[in-house]
Amino acid sequence: MTPRPDPLHESATLGDASAILDSGSHQVEGWVTASPPKLVEVLQHVFVFPKLLVRHRDLITTSVRRELAARFSGTLLGWAWPLVTPLLMFAIYYFIFTNLLGVKFGDLPEEQRSAMGVFMFVGILVWSAFGESVVRCTGVIVDNGNLIKKVAFPTEVLPLNQCLVAMVTMAFGIVAFVAVTWITPIFGLHIWVAPDTVRLTWAFLLIPLQVMFTYGIGLLLGTLQVYLRDTLQVVTVGITVWMFATPIFWTPELLLKEDGVTRGLAPEWEWVIDVNPMYHLVYSWRDVLMSREPEMVFHQPMQDSMIVFSYWAVASFVIGYTFFLLARRRFADEV
Amino acid sequence: MSDFAIEAEGLGKCYRVYGNPMSRIAEAATFGAYTGHREFWALRGVNFGLKPGGSLGLCGANGAGKSTLLKILAGTTTPTEGRFRVAGRVSSLLELGAGFHPDFTGRDNILMNGIMMGYSKREMEARTDEIIEFAELGEYIDEPVRVYSSGMGLRLGFSVAMAVEPDVMIIDEVFAVGDMYFQKKCVDKVYELKKNNKTVLFCSHSLYDVRQLCDEALWIQDGAPAKIGDSVDVTNSYSSYQRTHIAEVKSEGEAIKQEEAKPDYVPDQALPRVVDARIYRAGSDEEIYQVGTGESFEVRIWWANPQPDETPIQLGIGFFRPDTTTVAGVGSHIDGFKVEGEKGCTRVTIENISFLSDQFLVAVILFGGEGTHQYQQYLMRENLVVTHKTHDVGMFKLERHWDDLGDLELPDDKSAIREGTVAGASGGESGDNAGWIE
Repeated sequence: MTPRPDPLHESATLGDASAILDSGSHQVEGWVTASPPKLVEVLQHVFVFPKLLVRHRDLITTSVRRELAARFSGTLLGWAWPLVTPLLMFAIYYFIFTNLLGVKFGDLPEEQRSAMGVFMFVGILVWSAFGESVVRCTGVIVDNGNLIKKVAFPTEVLPLNQCLVAMVTMAFGIVAFVAVTWITPIFGLHIWVAPDTVRLTWAFLLIPLQVMFTYGIGLLLGTLQVYLRDTLQVVTVGITVWMFATPIFWTPELLLKEDGVTRGLAPEWEWVIDVNPMYHLVYSWRDVLMSREPEMVFHQPMQDSMIVFSYWAVASFVIGYTFFLLARRRFADEV
Repeated sequence: MSDFAIEAEGLGKCYRVYGNPMSRIAEAATFGAYTGHREFWALRGVNFGLKPGGSLGLCGANGAGKSTLLKILAGTTTPTEGRFRVAGRVSSLLELGAGFHPDFTGRDNILMNGIMMGYSKREMEARTDEIIEFAELGEYIDEPVRVYSSGMGLRLGFSVAMAVEPDVMIIDEVFAVGDMYFQKKCVDKVYELKKNNKTVLFCSHSLYDVRQLCDEALWIQDGAPAKIGDSVDVTNSYSSYQRTHIAEVKSEGEAIKQEEAKPDYVPDQALPRVVDARIYRAGSDEEIYQVGTGESFEVRIWWANPQPDETPIQLGIGFFRPDTTTVAGVGSHIDGFKVEGEKGCTRVTIENISFLSDQFLVAVILFGGEGTHQYQQYLMRENLVVTHKTHDVGMFKLERHWDDLGDLELPDDKSAIREGTVAGASGGESGDNAGWIE
């Protein structure tokens, strides 16, 4: 047998934080050691996340494409599904809320008749992307247990893929909506006023923020699910509660007509809106897509909502990813 | 940097076993003050250093910790104590076809699998044709993987892992893949890696493979390294331990005791066994392991058989090429020679050996009376090296004469004239060694 090397020759300096092995092992000067990574190294790793994106860009793009193909190709409607699903959802909720429950904005001018429909449609589009990502992310690490055990790869791309796939699906809906507002006037139909092009560019900021926020929550819940399998059950219920607590089918200025009296949200419930990051996200998207019409809905500048949401997005990502990195080294033993 | 491709210092892995989910919560809630788990050490105290181009084989019973060690080194799990480092690119083959998506074609899966192992899309695209060729899937490569037979899936998995060019290759017990033909291809591929100075770490239940593919071996027993060193020594100790262990369990019906797990365990006295075997120059007491083609030598086998009436025995000798081809095999039951008595030494004289230059592994096989059951496969400590000075090529020296037949007339029978040439000298290796290898 070859002689053992002198264990004293290694220096005590820390390796590059980004060199923490993809599997979650802790590396010091090329040695993979048993000690868990220090919090400060983990935080360093969180902030060089873009580096990881670049290094594993092939893995991310290929698996997102594959996931999309797996979901839609081979189905009868194929790539129409990303549009059909929110449209069906929209049809159901629109029927329930406007026809059965009588929710509507007050008396709007002729050209804004469809305001409630568009308002709900945008909300559903954004929420489905978020809700679906969160539920899928929660299960994705456990579901890929065998892969994690057998192949050394950066586990964080699993939830990221789910978020990106949902985002692509949502982008389909947005593009379709914008296309409809552009094309229908040519045929004399008027569904909704076409969004202002400059305003529309805000979408390029909203998309990464939404992915960041969703990803952070997904990492947190996905990690939790590894150690506590009840998480998914709780998340499934929780996400529905959250959906109804978010103004998707209603607005804080809710106009539920009861004996001809218009009532808004009771003051004691206003905190529900204030602490809800999804409120800010959904309103930002509505702002971008609905040209701030009807006026009564948009009572604060879009930038305010976006700034609040971006705090949430950064916090979600940093907390979720840190938690994930600290817990990851035992994934292979637990899944 | 050090000059090792893989170094491990005191590696250990402890799994935590939780009785129920509540104990985990209780543990987390008290920040570890309350211990809700049982510890299970799957592996402890593994030290070794492997130079580039070296190869280490792992052997040991199921659950001994071999796979755990490979998983740690491949980076899919983390050690609980100790440390290790691996120099260069690592490719691991812990499970064939892990990560294949059944709905995608073989071609798509090749790409995805490679990318997942850390290779770029471009690298994988450049190698796709080579992989498809090696896997020999033909038109199936564009069919979804779910329609593949299990053998086809495994073949594809092996081909992907081997096509990339790792510096260190970690392989977990995957040679039982496909048919004999593909197995041989796989073994050849591993040889090629070794030849190209790549480091191979490999785990197998086939001691023959370990001995043949690896220079060094590590025997792991109940999570602890039992013996490490030259692969011949280690596999011999392990197989003699294994043989006794089986007898022990049979006779006493209880598990082996801890001290008996020590290396170089003396075989159980009741069963027939090969005590030693050596090669001598024919008719002399000079021990040799190198002979020239056409020379004669003898193999002397010392054996013991405490109960010859209950367990009659037969002896055999097998000669194997490094690529596992059985070159020749002889047996006392084939030749009608009787091996009788409680112990003795049997001599087998091989005259005018016709092998051409190569290294041959020699194994003495102790059969049951019928010549089917193998009590023991005793691998000789040294390989037999055959050399020849003539310009013959191939595996054997053929006895031949050349004669001038002058103007002998061509017979009328036109069918005697064949068109074209004989299809080269390929296809010479049959790989038919099923009778000799485990």
